[in-house]
Amino acid sequence: MFKYVLRHVVSSVGLLFLSSILIFLLMRVIPGDPTITKLGGTIKEVDVETLASIRRQLGLDKSIPEQYVSWIAGIAHGDFGSSYFSQFPVTTLIEQRVGATLELAIMAMLIGILIAVPASVAGAIWPNRFLDWALSGFAAVGIAIPTFVIGIVLIIVLGVELNLLPTQGHVSFLKDPVTSVRTALLPSITLGIGVAATIMRILRASLMEIASASFVRTAKGKGLLRRQVVVRHELPNASIPAITAAGIIVAHLVGGAVIVEYVFARPGLGSLLVDSVFQRDYGVLQALVLLAAAAFIVTSLLVDVLLGFVDPRLRTETSS
Amino acid sequence: MSNAPEVVSLEGPGLERRESAGWRLLRRPQAALAGLVVGLIVAATIGAPLFAPYAPTATDYDRLFGAPSWAHPFGTDELGRDILTRVLYGGQTSLTVAAAATAIAMLLGVVWGFVAAFREGWIGEILMRVADTVMALPVILLGLVLVAAFGASILNLIIILGLLFAPATARLARSTLLVELRSEYYVAAVSVGASSWRIVARELLPNALPVLLARASLVVAEAIFVEASLSFVGLGVQPPETSWGTLLNQGYSNLYSSYSYPIFPGIVILVAVLALNILGDNLQKVLDPARS
Repeated sequence: MFKYVLRHVVSSVGLLFLSSILIFLLMRVIPGDPTITKLGGTIKEVDVETLASIRRQLGLDKSIPEQYVSWIAGIAHGDFGSSYFSQFPVTTLIEQRVGATLELAIMAMLIGILIAVPASVAGAIWPNRFLDWALSGFAAVGIAIPTFVIGIVLIIVLGVELNLLPTQGHVSFLKDPVTSVRTALLPSITLGIGVAATIMRILRASLMEIASASFVRTAKGKGLLRRQVVVRHELPNASIPAITAAGIIVAHLVGGAVIVEYVFARPGLGSLLVDSVFQRDYGVLQALVLLAAAAFIVTSLLVDVLLGFVDPRLRTETSS
Repeated sequence: MSNAPEVVSLEGPGLERRESAGWRLLRRPQAALAGLVVGLIVAATIGAPLFAPYAPTATDYDRLFGAPSWAHPFGTDELGRDILTRVLYGGQTSLTVAAAATAIAMLLGVVWGFVAAFREGWIGEILMRVADTVMALPVILLGLVLVAAFGASILNLIIILGLLFAPATARLARSTLLVELRSEYYVAAVSVGASSWRIVARELLPNALPVLLARASLVVAEAIFVEASLSFVGLGVQPPETSWGTLLNQGYSNLYSSYSYPIFPGIVILVAVLALNILGDNLQKVLDPARS
């Protein structure tokens, strides 16, 4: 087990390292000089010395490998550099915004699970054509429907017409939990439908597969009710493959947060990212992309380790 | 005459001619419907100059933000332009970007994956590590960064989306090819001394094609989705060019004047993506039953 975990940790660290190089190189091959954006003018108006001093200040006068090493060394000390645009340290900017995104992601995740698990279980308990058709339909549409479409429909129906929930902004959960949840509700439903569809797809397939397992036959044979068989015997076993969806879901949450925060004017990391793209603020951009990659890689690692604990057969596998 | 070779009958149970893949696909009601929808959308956008009820730039200042009506099924926009017409013309951009990006992703991905499968040593290892690294970043995020870097012209979008979807295609192409490389027909082709180009072009590629075709259908759907997302936040197709994403963006900023403005482009994107996904899933089941 230790060897299994170690192997996965090492390859995850390697992957994270490689993606940091990729992100960094991507930022350096970008045409256009961030210093010019920073000065807000065209290059003609700026004298060479000012330009050179700004480049020095941003560390852009060093060679690319040197810049990379100092960037990574900074991150190791918790210093993600500073914004090329507003001068603020990137960590400060992220701290201000991370709450809105985390609340959104957690609630979307909860909503996704709360829709997907009962629906899949109901599908397994009452195997009838109509329910089956409805659930597959929901999963197919839920995966295909763009987040902005759900968001716009929810704003129109629940926000404007019924005037039930606020459609914009963010209030910190720590300051005012009730208002915070209320403002986060529409964005998290928007994001949660995709999460629900992803989980349902995998959970329903594995529930179907497991229905023919011999332990299920035994459970039925000893006279348990259909729902007891499903909830106690099928669901726990069928949940294991659903864990593998975690990676896809994190990717969905990160990508979706960008769109959802735009739709609902939520000051989170997604909108910070869009802002920094518009401003060509590479200092912020590279930190955010690295953070997203780290979130995805760490999730995948946790999934692998968890699966290794649950399913001993995986531990003996030598190659990926 | 008794020496004449006996004619072997090819009739008999289990030896009927298999129906062609196209027919087997059409026999699935879901797939037939999805195919019809995709066909209709493609035909309507290509034939926009023929089918569109108005000129894309024709304005009508008496009818700003008009609700859906017989004259304007999708309503009208802030300049009184017909939204159905704009959706049809916008589809030309969206579908061109998606199709061209898919072509790049498939070509690059297949070469990438095939090379990685043939050179299983350190070259293959490096190629797959690069693919894994790119795949560790969410597509929309990487798309945003690349757009920031290279600007959001239509050509750039095509190239960027093509690059983004190539690694996952490479992964699939490699794993498909690794299976084919263990097959008897491959060993047979090698043993009769066929050149590697011939083996790839005549033996391996046709056998790997079903999987790749199903993948292509899903990539088109994903490309439409990502293009719309980027354009929606203002970082994709730039006005005055029109795509489904830019229409959605403009509709969203005028949400309080007209609900139908953002809703109809949104529905069209949903229907197109859904139909392509269903088509891709069914293609996979028909062409490659063992894998699904």
